[in-house]
Amino acid sequence: MAAKFETDFGQVLPPPRSQQGVTGWVRANLLSTWYNGVLTVMSAAVLGAALWVGVRWLIFDSDWTVIGTLGGQLVIGQYNIESACPGQNCFWRPQVSLLLVTALLGMAWRVAGGGLTKRIAIGVAVAVSAFALLPYSMERMGMDVRLLLLANLLVLGVGWAIGRYTPLGTARWATVSAVGVFVVIVLLLRGVPGIPGLEPVSVIYWGGLMLNLLLAVAGITLSLPIGVALALGRRSRLPVVKVLCITFIEIFRGVPLITLLLMSQVLVPLAFPEDFPQNSLFRAAVVITLFSSAYMAENIRGGLQALDPGQAEAARALGLPGWQTMFLISLPQAIRNVIPAIVGQFISLFKDTSLVYIIGVLDVVEFGRAFIQGNTEYLASAKELYIFLALVFWVFTYGMSYVSRRIEQHLGVGER
Amino acid sequence: MSVAWRKVGFVVAALVALGLAGCGSGLSEEDVEERAEARAQEIASQMVEEQKMASGDGMMMAESGDRLRLVRERGKVICASRNDVPGYGYLDPSSGSNVGFDIDLCHALAAAVLGDPNAIEIRLITAAERGPTIQSGEVDMLVRTVTWTTSRDSQWGNYAQTMFYDGQGFMVRKDLGLSSALDLKGASVCVTQGTTTELNLQDFSNQNSLDIEALTFEDTDAVLAAYEGGQCDAFTNDRSQLAALGTALENRSDHVILPETISEEPLGPVVPHGDDQWFDIVKTVMGILIYSEAYSVTSDSVPTVKTGSTKVDRLFGLEGAFGQESLGLSQTVAQDVIRAVGNYGEIYDRNLGSGGINLPRENGRNALWANAPCTDCPKGGQIYAAPLR
Amino acid sequence: MATVLRSLTYRGIPVWRHVKVIQWAIQIVSGIAVVALVVWFFSNIGNAIQERDIPYGFGFLDREYQTPIGQHFLPYESSDTFLYAFVVAFTNTLIVSVVGVVLATGLGILIGVARMSSNWIVSKVSLAYIEFFRNVPLLVQLFFWFYIVLALPPVREGYVVADRLYVNNSGLTIPGVSASSLAAALAWLGLATIAVVAAVVTYRWLAGREIRTGAASYPLLVGCATAVVIGLIGWVAVGAVSGGAPFTPSIPEPEGAFGRISGGFTVAGGLVALLAGLVMYTAAFIAEIVRAGIQSVGRGQSEAARALGLSGMGVLRHVTFPQALRVIVPPLISQYLNLTKNSSLAGAIGYSDLTNIAKTMTQTAPAVSIFLLIMVIYLALSLTYSLIGNLYNRAIRF
Repeated sequence: MAAKFETDFGQVLPPPRSQQGVTGWVRANLLSTWYNGVLTVMSAAVLGAALWVGVRWLIFDSDWTVIGTLGGQLVIGQYNIESACPGQNCFWRPQVSLLLVTALLGMAWRVAGGGLTKRIAIGVAVAVSAFALLPYSMERMGMDVRLLLLANLLVLGVGWAIGRYTPLGTARWATVSAVGVFVVIVLLLRGVPGIPGLEPVSVIYWGGLMLNLLLAVAGITLSLPIGVALALGRRSRLPVVKVLCITFIEIFRGVPLITLLLMSQVLVPLAFPEDFPQNSLFRAAVVITLFSSAYMAENIRGGLQALDPGQAEAARALGLPGWQTMFLISLPQAIRNVIPAIVGQFISLFKDTSLVYIIGVLDVVEFGRAFIQGNTEYLASAKELYIFLALVFWVFTYGMSYVSRRIEQHLGVGER
Repeated sequence: MSVAWRKVGFVVAALVALGLAGCGSGLSEEDVEERAEARAQEIASQMVEEQKMASGDGMMMAESGDRLRLVRERGKVICASRNDVPGYGYLDPSSGSNVGFDIDLCHALAAAVLGDPNAIEIRLITAAERGPTIQSGEVDMLVRTVTWTTSRDSQWGNYAQTMFYDGQGFMVRKDLGLSSALDLKGASVCVTQGTTTELNLQDFSNQNSLDIEALTFEDTDAVLAAYEGGQCDAFTNDRSQLAALGTALENRSDHVILPETISEEPLGPVVPHGDDQWFDIVKTVMGILIYSEAYSVTSDSVPTVKTGSTKVDRLFGLEGAFGQESLGLSQTVAQDVIRAVGNYGEIYDRNLGSGGINLPRENGRNALWANAPCTDCPKGGQIYAAPLR
Repeated sequence: MATVLRSLTYRGIPVWRHVKVIQWAIQIVSGIAVVALVVWFFSNIGNAIQERDIPYGFGFLDREYQTPIGQHFLPYESSDTFLYAFVVAFTNTLIVSVVGVVLATGLGILIGVARMSSNWIVSKVSLAYIEFFRNVPLLVQLFFWFYIVLALPPVREGYVVADRLYVNNSGLTIPGVSASSLAAALAWLGLATIAVVAAVVTYRWLAGREIRTGAASYPLLVGCATAVVIGLIGWVAVGAVSGGAPFTPSIPEPEGAFGRISGGFTVAGGLVALLAGLVMYTAAFIAEIVRAGIQSVGRGQSEAARALGLSGMGVLRHVTFPQALRVIVPPLISQYLNLTKNSSLAGAIGYSDLTNIAKTMTQTAPAVSIFLLIMVIYLALSLTYSLIGNLYNRAIRF
């Protein structure tokens, strides 16, 4: 009888054919139940139809000359036109700004020790320098422009070397340099009176994608800390602070950004004396940042709310003072919980930067829009233009959500 | 303190208070009066010591002559305009600069008062901002296809000179077989938001009880797409714009512009209220453009020595004067202006005519009055300015 | 001196070192500072408005608007006042907001759950959906739907089903009702509300009795009957007073030389495109929120539920989702606000929402006042959403 229970361990049977290879994968992932099968077929049909229509339009009906005509103007807007930069050529200022960013990325690559940062840094440098090879005539796109674009590859290496061989290669110094680079870029673009070659360029000529990116970077870096402060204020036990924070959050969250920007343009200047120096772009940047902070505050509040109160209690029991409990225990966990929401807000902010057309500056969307409105021969190319702009935004925002997902994985969100 | 202001105060308070203050934000009447008095004194003392203006942004001008002084100190003329209307103000495809009929008028003004046609700053504004912008005096001139109406003239600023006569019309599909806009009974009409176009359409519909249904879009590309897709039966705009947009239609010959013109749209530059000298300067510069064309002087043929023709010599400062000095302009201001931007006809051709949106001018309202076959002919154009003498 | 100082104590601690005192001092100072700043700001604006002769005030609200409004759910004539035009515009925005919120929530939850499906293609399609719709600017998406709607045949060549249903690129028209007069319609609607409330009360009462006594009392039937009876009586009564039925059926039919559909209930093409765009866009964000919410529920929970024998759907419905709601609700409300505010892009594709109409109004009325007004209206709408959301949030908190 005993022999009946003997198993030959030496012979491991392979899983049945139906669970192996392509068939097995299809069965397990696509057809596990009847409704899964239906879903699979329906999804495939929708995808197929969309692809069919899209590809046909792309091949037969689309005309992309409008993008070629706009070219570099989509990147810097009117920054280099005659009335912005009288008697000189200002194109090098945005380009040097770009080089500084690349150098910073190179440094970050070294400091973060490869991985995602490395891929982003190399990707950006390669993509940017690839623009040097665009098939424009030398008159439209001179050798100087092309060389400065190619220099990004070199500068990436320089940045990496700075991180490797100088004492600046620590996370702390990298952060300081990032802030420094931002300030230098703003100074470079704005110009300094009295220095030849660096004549001031009025902010009304700042434009193109450059403007969207500047506003987004400033907004993103500032809205997170302000949002944290507001969220803490809203949860504070001090009634006045609480009421102030709630009022601020609800007002800024409750009104469309476009209305806020309009008000900042029409009403706010009236509050200051007539000879007070006004800067419409600065006002817009402040409004966008505050608007985003209000949303950020609510996201972070959601994260704090989901936190087990035991965490803070344990920290207090260990003798940590209140602020340390908050900044070392509660906040990191709260922020971790709501990374998707925070990144979603960053994405919104980046897309919202295109609303600055309200103050009369030409960001990348407005430049394209105004161009086709005013030049009727391109009016029929509206579809191509908007699809191209969507693609441009998509590249940046997808990048953000990709990084966010990698960070989530790294922190193990949803695994615990 | 008027009732209306109390209402503003109330709304503002409701906005900001929300459990904060609850009280009104306004000041008491005495406060306002006190402030106004203090303000008046301040202005007076400033004027005594010949106020120095560091930055012109947002400066409010009240006295004749101040504006010219301010512009010269600032070194550039600020014009409020736009960049998305074919012909009038648009982005140049090769350089991305602002160009167009309206922009050229700004160049002409800069050439006249500063001697440098490029010393301009174009401030791009939306239709809703036109009034507040010129009222606050933060710009020197508003040239943004603004229709001259009496209420705007009284509230916004002074209309200097009509530089273009436009009027609103309709475009429809040929196969509808319409011969008049009065046949549009029950039609759906696409219209661009932000100008008097919508109001004129409603007036026209009411007057003729046409019961027109209006579809309002923000941008012309959407209007055009909706019209071509058949969402509306007609679209309406100023006739110059209809002509320009016609080129964007897939098949222009399938569409016709109906004969009716349902509104008067005299367009031209506007200057802020309060500075008569500046108002006169702008009028004079516009006159220079018009009379140069009448005398057939183009940017290439600007005379620098006497030509023998008294009128031409006076215009170009070679003999006599037409009031340049009292306006604070140089004797040869016309030479600067015409050399920089050309005469009215050249500006028209470059932007609205063959070089631009191809709007015919011969025998139309925008031909020169001076070019009419005889002085009293009823058929002459309407472009006319005060004689320069 | 020392005695004076000693007397300045609060519960044994010197006043200036007591936490409570310091906190209150800081609060009062900061509160006063903020209020002062706000007052200074707005009084400056007030002065400037007067000095620079900028038109302001709200007298225009009583004037006739005299401008066309494309689509309107409330009856509108160009001789109506600005104030009433504001009401019409607000209704247009409100309808988009409410319908959009409902649809976006449904679609968002669906996509969010599908994102975590075990079906590979479903999960990847949801991921693609989220990454596409979330990352492409809304305006571009609105144009996309605008062109899709335009691809439908124009009104004279549109689809007609049984002479009752009209589908074309100007909109979708179905038979509807038209009110004979505003007063009669409102009166009957009031009575109908009472009827529904009475029906619910009856239903509850009878259902409660059934549970208590066990006697069959047909709560559903009686409840419905109550509503119908009160509604009918109201109909007849209102009809008798106003001399005609409060509502008459309205059958759509083409009219005039241009074949525009008149009568019936029309959902305009612009509204369809706007709703499609807003719902698809917001659903992508909601899907991510739902996913984050579900993931925030510990794995052990769903494993335990599975061990207890619940089906996949059952785990989601009875265990995971109710717990996830706590993390979901606050950001979800933000999305509702976003949807409402994003509807202000409607002007681009020809739907007459509040912002679109307000921009037109600035042609004939002071811009500053109009923008203040729409700010207040949006704020009120948002605060209502926030309030409802926060009440719900409180109800489901730990």
